[in-house]
Amino acid sequence: MKTEIRLNGALYAKIIQDLTRPHPFAAERVGFVFCRRGSLRDQGSLFLLTRYHSIPDNQYIDDPAVGARIGSEAMTWAMQAVYHGRPAREGIFHIHLHGHRGETGMSGTDAREIPKLIPGFQSVGREAAHGIIILSADHGSGWVWLRGSAEPVHADCVSVIGTPVGVFERGRKK
Amino acid sequence: MAYPPEQIEELKGYCTKLSALPEGGVTFLYMEGLRLPAGCNPSACDALLCPVAKDGYPSRLYLSVQVASRYPRNWNGSTRIGERNWFAFSWMVNLSEPTLTQLLIAHLNGFAKEK
Amino acid sequence: MNMDRYSRQSFLGPNAEELLSRCTIGVPGLGGGGSHIVQQLAHIGFQRYVLYDDDVVEESNLNRLIGATPADVLAATLKLHLAKMMIYRLQPKAIVRGFACKWQENPEPLRECQIVVGCVDSYKGREELEIACRRYLMHYIDIGMDVHGKERPVIGGQIIQSSPGGLCMRCMGFLTDEKLATEAARYGNAGPRPQVVWPNGVLASTAVGLAVDLVTNWTRSGRSHAYLAYDGNAGTVKESLTLRNLKITACPHFPDADIGDPVLVAL
Repeated sequence: MKTEIRLNGALYAKIIQDLTRPHPFAAERVGFVFCRRGSLRDQGSLFLLTRYHSIPDNQYIDDPAVGARIGSEAMTWAMQAVYHGRPAREGIFHIHLHGHRGETGMSGTDAREIPKLIPGFQSVGREAAHGIIILSADHGSGWVWLRGSAEPVHADCVSVIGTPVGVFERGRKK
Repeated sequence: MAYPPEQIEELKGYCTKLSALPEGGVTFLYMEGLRLPAGCNPSACDALLCPVAKDGYPSRLYLSVQVASRYPRNWNGSTRIGERNWFAFSWMVNLSEPTLTQLLIAHLNGFAKEK
Repeated sequence: MNMDRYSRQSFLGPNAEELLSRCTIGVPGLGGGGSHIVQQLAHIGFQRYVLYDDDVVEESNLNRLIGATPADVLAATLKLHLAKMMIYRLQPKAIVRGFACKWQENPEPLRECQIVVGCVDSYKGREELEIACRRYLMHYIDIGMDVHGKERPVIGGQIIQSSPGGLCMRCMGFLTDEKLATEAARYGNAGPRPQVVWPNGVLASTAVGLAVDLVTNWTRSGRSHAYLAYDGNAGTVKESLTLRNLKITACPHFPDADIGDPVLVAL
């Protein structure tokens, strides 16, 4: 059952440009990206990213213990966006960047903190899939919580349909 | 693209379920279980009503199957809309500002006319 | 990876073979154009394919169908089979999913592609492929040729790149309602269209060049769209004149609402 996250080149460039901007106090930036689902054979799924929301500087909380922490205003915005996206079954993904090259996974903080957001998204956007994407300098990984699911599916691939085409496969050795 | 609510309600009477299907700037009216005129086989099928100009026709009715009818039709409108395959026969409907139901009936009349 | 094999294409970049091997490429239509394309893709190093064609080799194909022989006519060999054999002879480890049908009859496999090269013979067919590629975020490269006129035949053709987020075939002036309407009106009366091997080769080679650039970015052009017009009489491939007069900078024809599986809105 294949799971792939896919976005076009312009959106990828926009996300990278935003996530690499310095923040006044946060060590890293985070954002939200919206997604629609496409069905593949054998119950596989494509998660097609459509638009990106950059979190304004003043919606971060100054917490030196973590790379970035967003406040309630950012979360309220995200929840409202999920609500308005319900007719289209539009899902939301938390996205951020790790500075190294190669395949990336969740840091300890990522694994502890970010999944806590998912039940809230699921309660508002029940019909959609939501998740987490972490990009690196030349790769990307994603975790998708399918409709009603408590545990994520680790995406087989994140692909960028730009020039060049980027096919970031899970577990593929260079 | 929004349609008048009263016309939507009237159209619902011709099918089991009515939905909107947007694609490429056009909002198609997706009619599940559209009842077809007497003499058609099958007697009902899914349909898409396109009330705006497309592919050289001022409006079009697409059906989920090539319906057999009393008079053979020229099925020249095989197409793919909303990730599904549809069929349409050559039938020009020229009405001045019809309601959705008037449009639908005018297209269905294509089964009843010899030419 | 045997580096000697690809040593002559090192200008594509140090990781080109790895990048090409990861990309899944779809080719709906394995006739005169598609057979050229599949051959070249296999030579250059693509490893993952999704192919569609429901037709068998006929006598009239032998003037242009790459790999076909008179024996294939007698055996009624599937064009799909020819294409698969072409690929496997060059790339024994290739992963080839082939479907002896029209792609519209089994569309899900096509969605696994990053690039689709369309070798279909109607405007309607092209429109449908482009819509699918925009829905599921795939690069679409289209090729086609035609021969007009009897007294003085004129060969024309196109190679078009339509990419998600970029200008589409309507934006670039290639697909129009008029062309679709004219084609619909001629349905069933078109008859066999003239087709010859060398224009197919030009178009296919150019399309493969676009595909390789999409994967490797070796030209560093980062092009978001392309419309190249082939003049078979003059023997040229040039940027279409319609692009020079384009006033559109962003595509209005494929909104975000059209991405992903269609969602019906109950009324």
